[in-house]
Amino acid sequence: MKVIEAKGIEKIYNPNKIPVHALKGVDLEIEQGEFTAIVGPSGSGKTTLLNIIGGLDRPSEGSIEVGGKDISALSDNQLIDFRKDNIGFVFQAYNLIPVLTAKENIEFVMLLQNRSEAERNQRTNELLKAVGLEDKIDKRPSELSGGQQQRVAVARALASKPTFVLADEPTANLDSESTSNLLDIMAKLNQEENMTFVFSTHDQRVIDRAHRIVTLVDGKIDTDVRR
Amino acid sequence: MILKMSWRNIWRSPLRSLVVMGAITIGTWAIIFLMSFSFGMVKSYVNNAIRMETSHIQIHTPAFKEDREVGNLLPEAESKLATIKSSAEVEAATVRTILNAMLVAPKGTRGVIARGIDENEEIKVTEIDQQIVEGSYFGKGKNQVLMGKSLAEKLGLKIRKKVVLQFQNLDGEITAGAFRIVGLIDSGNKMRDDGSVFVRRGDLNRLIGSEKAGHEIAIFLKDAEQIQAKTAALKTDYSNDLIESYTEISPDIKLYETQIGTSFAVFVGIFMLALIFGIINTMLMAVLERTRELGMLMSVGMNKGRVFGMIVLETLMLGLVAAITGMILGWITIQYFSGSGIDLSSFSAGLKQFGMSTIIYPALDGAYYLQLTISIIITTLLASLYPAYKAIKLRPVEAVRKI
Repeated sequence: MKVIEAKGIEKIYNPNKIPVHALKGVDLEIEQGEFTAIVGPSGSGKTTLLNIIGGLDRPSEGSIEVGGKDISALSDNQLIDFRKDNIGFVFQAYNLIPVLTAKENIEFVMLLQNRSEAERNQRTNELLKAVGLEDKIDKRPSELSGGQQQRVAVARALASKPTFVLADEPTANLDSESTSNLLDIMAKLNQEENMTFVFSTHDQRVIDRAHRIVTLVDGKIDTDVRR
Repeated sequence: MILKMSWRNIWRSPLRSLVVMGAITIGTWAIIFLMSFSFGMVKSYVNNAIRMETSHIQIHTPAFKEDREVGNLLPEAESKLATIKSSAEVEAATVRTILNAMLVAPKGTRGVIARGIDENEEIKVTEIDQQIVEGSYFGKGKNQVLMGKSLAEKLGLKIRKKVVLQFQNLDGEITAGAFRIVGLIDSGNKMRDDGSVFVRRGDLNRLIGSEKAGHEIAIFLKDAEQIQAKTAALKTDYSNDLIESYTEISPDIKLYETQIGTSFAVFVGIFMLALIFGIINTMLMAVLERTRELGMLMSVGMNKGRVFGMIVLETLMLGLVAAITGMILGWITIQYFSGSGIDLSSFSAGLKQFGMSTIIYPALDGAYYLQLTISIIITTLLASLYPAYKAIKLRPVEAVRKI
């Protein structure tokens, strides 16, 4: 089943000044349960593509469907609601809410979804267990290591039961051990929950674990390899 | 959760938040204390004026109001007084004979108002006996006079000395009587002390040629809240007479009473203007510092309404916590001084000139706390709009990447 279907995606920044052609007609389909790494040199358009897939940015041309729904036609507020229910985000700089504990950070999106307290508690505990942070439940981000914060971020991304998870260079700020732990957790969630993961990365350790590697060069897909 | 986040966000930069909250607290405290002090002064002035000068209600003939002629007597003054005194709302009432007179002393003369009073009834209305600082209230013997201490000093007079009061009688002829000074008064109102003397009404009436004469009935009510109703009732009962409440007799009192409300609005306005810029500055910094976080919140599904609400809530809590602290401190200060009062003896000369007491008892009506709270809520809400607008104008895709 197709989770993401991008057709003829073009993205031009500053169209009226000095135009920058970031994406030049990208076609990409991602199936349910794929563990995909989008790689390429700096400036190749990885982050732009991820932003468009994640509904954070709009393509200049082309269409993007997520779970069969064309999101390029949605308004800003509809996009926010769409992201809340369908997409989990993992950011390079973790981006946890500093004033909330690990548990509250994970619960946050579920609260936005108006889930019941019982459901929130159950899901939060499951996810904290899955990322191995049951003992850090009441810790704030400042009391956690980088690796632990990124594991909380993964748990948060999954809390809303999204259609897929987008991770923008998730291991860029982590040491080897934390990277390995994080990849183990994401691989396990991918296998056990059939969760779809899409990464943008430079990190060879991530690339080595991916099942599919899409290489972008100069805003175009250069290679698309399934393993 | 948003409430919790907003509260915790305030304390992310404790020093910055405390500086703003401190400014709001001190400002609120200052307004409350300043206003309670002003209210205390006005209350002192109004109470003094009512007790010493106007009482709650006065009755004259309309002609007396225009011209204080001896002949403008209040018809059937004593029978009216008896009826009024029997009324349940009335604490005390008295009749006065009032004449423009010339006070002749060995060292000079002065134009004064000679007030002929019924010695036993008058003290229930004006408490004049308690203002005697030298000598005593009326005793045995005829033609006794009470006068202001300051006037006596100007004219070189002392207790037991004699003065002559000269005025017109009901026949239009000049008449005079010699009066012995039995008491010197310090009412706290220098203008009044310098311009009036008090004698027995019987003595004055005998000199003008009418035992029953009276120009004025002064009424003191049990409850000041009844003034308007009682004034209206008396106007109906005595339609030929001029019935006036203290605010009609002394428009300056009314002016003071209304002016204080205007002063409050001006003080609050100035404070709120300063407050609005302080809050905007603080909250704008807070929003700009959290650009990436706000971008993340919108990325994961927090809609613009909720982001807007969070910033507004944060601002509101910042303002309200500080304002409530300021109000509590203000209330405690008022409670502390309301018992002993604030002693302004060092400014007594100036205060007496304006008919105010030297000890001011600060007081503030509960309604003003409410008004101030509403003003702060409105100001804080207004101040939060721009930072909240800036927050929702952030584009998540750019904000999450902001360092």
